[in-house]
Amino acid sequence: MSLASGVQIQDDCITAFQDFSRSHGKTKYIIYKIADDKKSVVVDSVGKDQDYEVFRNELADAKDSLGRPSPRYAVYDVEYEIAGEGKRSKIIFISWVPSETPTLWSMIYASTREVLKNALNVVTSIHADDKSDIEWKTVLKEASGGKA
Amino acid sequence: MNPSNPPQAAEYGGDEVSAIVLDPGYSTTRAGFAGEDAPKSLIPTYYGKYNADGQEKLVYGDNIFVSPRPGLSIHNPIGRDGIVEDWDMAEKVWEHSFVSRLTGTKAGNPFQNGLNDVDELPVEMDVESEEKPLSDSPLLMSEPGWNPARAREKTIEIAMEKWDTPAFYLARTGVLSAFASGKPSALVIDIGASNISITPVHDGMILKRGVQHSPLGGDYISSQINALLKANNPQPITITPHYLISSKSAVEAGQPPQANYKTFPPDKAPDASYRALLEERTLTEFKECVVQVWPGPTRLSAPGPTGVSNEDMARNTPGRPFEFPDGYNQVFGVERFRVVESLFDAKAAIPDPDSPFPAPTPAQTIPELVKASLAGVDVDIRPALLANVVVTGGSSLLYNFTERLNQELMQIFPGPRVRVTAAGNTYERRFGAWIGGSILASLGTFHQMWISKKEYEEHGPNIVEKRCK
Repeated sequence: MSLASGVQIQDDCITAFQDFSRSHGKTKYIIYKIADDKKSVVVDSVGKDQDYEVFRNELADAKDSLGRPSPRYAVYDVEYEIAGEGKRSKIIFISWVPSETPTLWSMIYASTREVLKNALNVVTSIHADDKSDIEWKTVLKEASGGKA
Repeated sequence: MNPSNPPQAAEYGGDEVSAIVLDPGYSTTRAGFAGEDAPKSLIPTYYGKYNADGQEKLVYGDNIFVSPRPGLSIHNPIGRDGIVEDWDMAEKVWEHSFVSRLTGTKAGNPFQNGLNDVDELPVEMDVESEEKPLSDSPLLMSEPGWNPARAREKTIEIAMEKWDTPAFYLARTGVLSAFASGKPSALVIDIGASNISITPVHDGMILKRGVQHSPLGGDYISSQINALLKANNPQPITITPHYLISSKSAVEAGQPPQANYKTFPPDKAPDASYRALLEERTLTEFKECVVQVWPGPTRLSAPGPTGVSNEDMARNTPGRPFEFPDGYNQVFGVERFRVVESLFDAKAAIPDPDSPFPAPTPAQTIPELVKASLAGVDVDIRPALLANVVVTGGSSLLYNFTERLNQELMQIFPGPRVRVTAAGNTYERRFGAWIGGSILASLGTFHQMWISKKEYEEHGPNIVEKRCK
């Protein structure tokens, strides 16, 4: 095992993810956060809005209990079309650690990421610390392997 | 408040115990309680040795600077490549780092410590053998990415058997620095005293084939400053450390120093290594106050964009004054860029046949190390690494260092996005790995990661290879 914080993944996180992947695109994303007691990853919100920008803004506007920018994890269901091959969809894992995050939370989020990603069993992932890192075209390119 | 008081303790196995975090470097050893913002104990890794009353004596920590004892010689248990050479002394220096400021020495045997001296001991009692220094504290240590397996095993052996720590973990400095910047994948560029190193980290794991290091660190820069001072105009400059000066008076810039010197008869003089250690302190100050990295975009030796050469541009910037311990002072102009230019351009090294460092090869420079590092990792992850370059280490605080690094990387890799991050705060830059370890070891949830004493006893030192990847 690589160096990890030991922060636990709550069962709710897995259940929510299973519902999400069975919803066939009705649910578009889940945002996860690490609880303030630093002991477990919990579900922050589940979103159905089909507009990617709604998700992007929600992620980028995430705040901690004192109103400061705060990291999050997310899974997003990326739908795309490959010319001649039809529609596809793929779930992408996103870690969001804005550059102004205090070192304490940067460290905890970075060292818990692999555990959550593995627990959800999502292979494709990106890491972002700036809103420009999670533009639709970046996410689309990563999810489709550059095909769409 | 007593500085030896541990902070709010993390929970370990139900007991309130605060872990110790130990980040041993070549030049300094950093130790402190987990959960704190900075290491409380910062000591030189160097130690001193001298003879008194027919016995060999050892001096540790800041005490090595204090008095120029006859025959005092200075040594370092760690080799220039950053790997421990003398395990017995490494153990003693590291132990000093936490015992002197953090844990305190344990009370000795009550029958022998003099507090209970009576003429006759009432009864013979079994007294527990002397307590070991870390019996109550879990220990998280850091190590360079190229630390060999037998050195890792030796480290856990010392922690468990000599110090008796109940729980241990060994983390790579590269991973700690990447995580402390929030990044699961990063190209960590660490500019230390004895080494500069490039460590690719992907999803929290170091990619061993991509780890590169070379000796062009802070000590090499010192040797370049020495070369510059020797060749100085109007006169060569010799650094005379403070302990050799009894008084001095102010002189005009560039004028010979007016100082009275202390002399030691040969049998009372400290070893040459002591003088070198103290000269290094002046050189460190020189690096902080005078030395500047040419910001680029092109090399210092290159013709500039407007037809004026970069050297001439540098010559026209205001110089920086520096006063040596003997009072000699001078303004340093373009020279202050030259002493660090060879970190990026091997040809720019100031030649010095007497230097302990051979002239650098192009492969040892930072741009070439980065190229070699990326060549050793999967082509698919290179863009992610270049977009997450993390700069750390005390010598990276050289003025304009990150600007130049950014320029060099953008020229070598014009396609992918290059983004260099470096903590703005001096403490975070110098102690990045320590701070990362401090946070992890303070988390209640980290208890599952520790290698417990019992596990060590069951599996032996090799367990560190399985558990601390």
